[in-house]
Amino acid sequence: MKINFVINKHNVTVDVDPSMRLLDVIRNELHLTGTKEGCGEGSCGACTVLVDNIPYDSCLTPIANVIGKEVMTIEGIRESKEYNVIADAFAKMGGSQCGFCTPGMIIATYALLQSNPHPTDEEIKVALSGNLCRCTGYQGIINSVRLASQKGEKND
Amino acid sequence: MINHFIPKNLSEALDILSNHDCYIIAGGTDLMVQKHRSSGLLPTFEKDVLYISNLEELNFIRSDDKGVHIGATTKYRDISSSELVPQLFKDVISELASPNIRNMATLAGNIGNASPAGDTLVALYVLDAYLVLQNKESKREILVKDFIKGVRKIDRKPDEMITEIVIPHHDLHYYWKKVGSRAAESISKLSFLGAYITKEGIIKDLRIGFGSVSITVVRNRDIEKQYIGLKIDEFSQQIPEIIRKYDEIINPITDQRSTKDYRKKVAMNLLKDFLTKIK
Ligand SMILES: Cc1cc2nc3c(=O)[nH]c(=O)nc-3n(C[C@H](O)[C@H](O)[C@H](O)COP(=O)(O)OP(=O)(O)OC[C@H]3O[C@@H](n4cnc5c(N)ncnc54)[C@H](O)[C@@H]3O)c2cc1C
Ligand code: FES
Ligand code: FES
Repeated sequence: MKINFVINKHNVTVDVDPSMRLLDVIRNELHLTGTKEGCGEGSCGACTVLVDNIPYDSCLTPIANVIGKEVMTIEGIRESKEYNVIADAFAKMGGSQCGFCTPGMIIATYALLQSNPHPTDEEIKVALSGNLCRCTGYQGIINSVRLASQKGEKND
Repeated sequence: MINHFIPKNLSEALDILSNHDCYIIAGGTDLMVQKHRSSGLLPTFEKDVLYISNLEELNFIRSDDKGVHIGATTKYRDISSSELVPQLFKDVISELASPNIRNMATLAGNIGNASPAGDTLVALYVLDAYLVLQNKESKREILVKDFIKGVRKIDRKPDEMITEIVIPHHDLHYYWKKVGSRAAESISKLSFLGAYITKEGIIKDLRIGFGSVSITVVRNRDIEKQYIGLKIDEFSQQIPEIIRKYDEIINPITDQRSTKDYRKKVAMNLLKDFLTKIK
């Protein structure tokens, strides 16, 4: 079936089975490999993308559910000025080691700071509670989000 | 050959259901896991599929004298942020799954999935919530407790779908505990919801629900009724007896998430803690 949606601000049409996971469409049909597959069952957040600006697990989303919607992957977020602030903060505070969870972490951070530019540590923990990291022990990530929120404030 | 239907509106969806036995997918957070095979392969649906997540007609929250009405495609995210929804219900949702899943998933999906660990079910039983099922010709209302028949068994005919859930208004005090292995994304080992109303020293309402201790939520109105109308000090003396009564009917099982002994012990401890807090 032909399915239309927007990916990173470009209209696309893919001809796929409507039950295909958004994750597989992004990686295998559109060849955008920044979005990662960790668990494939909604537990790790590595596959996080934005759908109409809201974070979704792309491994649980049938492509039929995003018809006509705007999907943003890490490749699209990279074009934003917020990305630079967030990525810098992750680099400075040790928020990324192997990097596998990082695209998901950055998207979760981006979405949090859009809706809540000055989160408390508790709010940061809740916002990232669906994103697993096997390397950093999380403190570096929380510090990164806090730094990004402070830096973002200066740029306002 | 499997058909995939993406209806534009409710009446089209009901037309399709009148002719095809379909899996209904809302957020997909249960079904896409159940039907997943492996990375890069399509999920295995053995029959037609109807995608309803984007039906805007069913994306609503409104309130009237019957209660709060929540549409079948309304996402947890919007339920949590609505001023119309009772705090008890929001507390339950805030501990369900993860932020991403709460952005995608629906209350109707939690009911439709009929898992013994479905977190909203305990609250829906305790609040006497009901749902509206609709087919092409008509609508019917059914209590959530009567709709759920067992593990993944529901009283839905192939031509019907849930269109809304109604949570009656209440002014209950409540005590909710979900026991899982981590704060986010843990399927309950056990959950407990106690609720009551006291007025001028008398128990006016008492409701007790346990999740994940049996194939469906355990709520026993016969036990509850015996204690409504008592003065609080009389009630306090009855606490050991109440605990004994629940002790007889709570018979959890052991599975990959927990053991029957642990579940039983925690269930009884939570019950006791709740009962002693009633004032
Ligand atoms: C990692 C992870 C963690 C989770 N944690 C929790 C948790 O803590 N607590 C919990 O309770 N659940 C949890 N879940 C389960 C799931 O997220 C919930 O049950 C959710 O409410 C399902 O909603 P959905 O819209 O995604 O349902 P779907 O997967 O779309 O559907 C679920 C079932 O309901 C049926 N259905 C959906 N809509 C209708 C309708 N309108 N009419 C008739 N039938 C319908 C479907 O046919 C299907 O059988 C978790 C899932 C994952 C993947
Ligand atoms: S790959 Fe989607 S949540 Fe883990
Ligand atoms: S940096 Fe390796 S998983 Fe997070």
